[in-house]
Amino acid sequence: MSHTVLVCDDAIFMRTMISDILAQAGFEVVGEAETGVQAVERYKQLKPDLVTMDIVMPDMGGIDAVREIVKHDPDAKILMCSAMGQQALVVEAIQAGAKDFVVKPFQPSRVLEAVQRVLG
Amino acid sequence: MDLSQYAELFLAESREHLSACNQLLLAWERKPASLEPVGGLFRAVHTVKGMAATMGYAAVTDLAHRTENLLDHLRRGAHPATDELLQLLFRARDALEQAVELSVRGRERDLDLSAITAELDRAAARAGGKAGRAAAAREPPPPPIEALAAPGRLVQVVLRAEAPLKGGRALLLLKRAQALGAVHAVSPPPAAFEAEDFDGRLAFRLESAAPADQIRERLRATGDVESVTLPEEEERRAAAPAAAAGAAVEPARSRHLRVDLRRLDGLMDLIGELVTARGRLNELAAERRDPAIDDVTIQISRLTADLQAEIIQARMTPVWQVFDRFPRLVRDLARQLGKQVAFRVEGKEIELDRAILDELGDPLMHLLRNAVDHGIEPPAERRRRGKNPEAEIVLTALRERSSVAISVTDDGRGIDRATILERARRDGLVDPHAEALTDDQLLRVLARPGFSTADAVTNVSGRGVGIDVAVTRLRALGGSIEIRSQPGKGTTFVLRLPVTLAIVRALIASVGRERYALPLTYVAETVELGAAPTTTVEGREAIVLRDRVVPLVYLRQLLGVAGDAPPPRRPIIVLEMGDRRSGVVVDGMLGQQEIVVKGFDAPQGTLPVFSGATIMGDGVPALILDAGGLV
Repeated sequence: MSHTVLVCDDAIFMRTMISDILAQAGFEVVGEAETGVQAVERYKQLKPDLVTMDIVMPDMGGIDAVREIVKHDPDAKILMCSAMGQQALVVEAIQAGAKDFVVKPFQPSRVLEAVQRVLG
Repeated sequence: MDLSQYAELFLAESREHLSACNQLLLAWERKPASLEPVGGLFRAVHTVKGMAATMGYAAVTDLAHRTENLLDHLRRGAHPATDELLQLLFRARDALEQAVELSVRGRERDLDLSAITAELDRAAARAGGKAGRAAAAREPPPPPIEALAAPGRLVQVVLRAEAPLKGGRALLLLKRAQALGAVHAVSPPPAAFEAEDFDGRLAFRLESAAPADQIRERLRATGDVESVTLPEEEERRAAAPAAAAGAAVEPARSRHLRVDLRRLDGLMDLIGELVTARGRLNELAAERRDPAIDDVTIQISRLTADLQAEIIQARMTPVWQVFDRFPRLVRDLARQLGKQVAFRVEGKEIELDRAILDELGDPLMHLLRNAVDHGIEPPAERRRRGKNPEAEIVLTALRERSSVAISVTDDGRGIDRATILERARRDGLVDPHAEALTDDQLLRVLARPGFSTADAVTNVSGRGVGIDVAVTRLRALGGSIEIRSQPGKGTTFVLRLPVTLAIVRALIASVGRERYALPLTYVAETVELGAAPTTTVEGREAIVLRDRVVPLVYLRQLLGVAGDAPPPRRPIIVLEMGDRRSGVVVDGMLGQQEIVVKGFDAPQGTLPVFSGATIMGDGVPALILDAGGLV
C-alpha cells in the first residue's frame, strides 16, 4: 500500500510541486494545508504516514505546528521544507520533533531521499 | 600547469558568487541588524579570493582580500549596515566583478583599483577599532578540559561541502548518534549549529557497543554526510599518512558536472537529426509492414524520446540564474530616480531551457526599467493619491501547461491610454474615430518600433527604444507578450514562453502543396469549417465557439497560395494565447509530430507569421507558423 502524505505550505505553487514529486514516486497525497492551524487539524483527521511542512506559514508557523502534531502523536513523521538561510529555524524544528528537512529550490531526488529517510 | 582551461570555470563560478553578493547586500540593507548576510558575503568573497589566487589573478585576489578583511571586521563586531557601508560594499562588489572579467580576458593591467582598496582599508580600520572590544565578548569559551577525556570513541564527521543548512543536518546526525548510545563532548557545541557559518565539521565521543561499521552506516544514513571517521580507521590511516592527510576534508566526488553550453547545443542538434531520422524510419516501417522492423522502430522511437527528455532536462535552468541580478538593478534605478520601491521575485525555481533564459534577460531588464521609470510615481505623488509611498514591483514566474508565464507587475499610475490613443491616431495606427484602446490595441501601438511617449529622454529608459525590442525578442523565441493596465492601479506585462525551444510537438497542416507546422503549445482545439456557423465581427469573418467569438484567418489567402480550389469542408485550428484566440483555416491536417526547430532568417518582406523552419521526415523543409503572429 502506498504511503499517505499531508502537504503543508502556504503557496499553491509549492504544494503542487511537492505533491507532483511525491505522487510521481507513488505516494498518495491525501490532503493539503495552507496554515499551521490547518496542518494540525488535517493531521488529526487524516493521520497521514508523512507530513511535509513549510517553516513559514501564516496563522501558525510550521515549527509550532510540528510541536502541536508531535504532542498529539509522538511518532509523527514530519519533513520540514526550508529555504536557504533558515538554519536556526531548521534546528528549532528538529528540536521540536521534525525528522528531516529539504531545502528549496527542491530537487525531486533530494526530496525523495529525505522522504525515504523519514519513513525508513 | 596550464590554467587557461580553468578560466571559464573560474569566471562562471565567480559570477555566481558575485551575483549572490548582490542579493546578500540587498538583504542586509533590508535588515541592517542581521548578521547572516555579512557571514554570507564574507564566505562568497572568500571563495572568489581563493579561486583568483589559484588562477594567479593578483589584482582580484588583493581586492577580494581587502573586501573580505572589512567584512570580517563587520562580522566580528556585529556592525549594523549603514548607508555608507552598503554603498562601499556595493562598489567593491562591482569592482570585483570588473576585475574578474578583465583578468580572465588577460587585461588585468587595465585595472585601477587604488581608490577602492584605500577606501576599503580605511573602513576596515574604523570597523576594526570597534570590533576589537566586541570580539572579545563573542569569542566562544574554550572547551572544558574534561571533554577531551570524555568516555567513548571519538567520532569525526564531515558533511558534504554542498549540503544546505549544515547545522540542521548536524543536529539530525547527533540525534541518530544518540539512538546508538551516549553522546558526550560535542564540538562545536550544538548551539553553533544555528549559526549560518557552521562549516559542517563536527566531532563527539560516542559510548556505544555497536561495531564501527554499523555506527558509520547509521550516521551516513543521515544524508549529506561526506565522511565518518572512527578510531579503527584513524589507526589504519596512520599507516598510510599520505592518504590520511586530506581524507577528512577533501570534498566528495560531486555528482554535478559543469558542461560547456555549446556541448549541450551540439548534442541537441544531433538529437534533432535523430528525431528527424526517426520520423523517416517510422514512415518506411509503416510502408513495409514487417513485424521485426516494427519492433526495432518502436524501440528506437522510445529510446530517442528518452534521450530527448534527458537532454532537455539537462538544459533546464531555474530562472533565478537570470532573475537574481534584478533586485540590485531595481534598487539602483529607484535610488537614481528618487523612487521608493519594494521589489519581490516569485517562482525563482521555475525552470526554462537555458537558451530561452539567456534571451530573456534583456527584455525583462527593459520592462523593469520601464516600471521603475515610467510605471511608478515619485513618493510625493503617491502620497497625494493616498498610495503607499513605497511602490511595489513584482517579478513572477509561473508554470502553465506547456509554457512559462513571466510577469512584471507594478502598482503605479498605469499606462496613459489617452496620450497613447492620441499619438496612435496621429500616426495613423488606429481608426481616427477610435474612442478607446483595448489592451490588445495598446500593445500593438506600444510595440511599434520607436514608439515612446516619454516626455523627456532619461538615461534609464525612454530613448525611443520601446517595448518593440522586447516583443521582437519574444516572438523570435516563440513566445508572446500581453499588457494589462489600469489607470491609477498599475501595469502588468505578461511574457509567455515555451518551456523548451529545441524540439516541440506540432500539428502538421497542409495548404496547397506545402506543409506547415503549428506548435501545440498554443493549439487549443480543432474544429471543422462549416460545422459551426460563421458570422462577421468588426469586419472579420469569425465563428462562435462556446459563446466566444473566434476570428478566422484563412491561411490560403494570407500566404497567397494559388491553385486548386480548397475543399469545402476544412479544418480550423483554434490557437489560444492568453485571452486571445483565433481560428486558422487550413486545407487539411496531416497529424501531430515532433519537430526540431531551426532558426529561420526570414527574407525581407516575408509575412511576420513564421517563427522558424523544420525538416520533415522525408527531408523536405516546412515552415513553422508563429502563433503570436496569427492570434
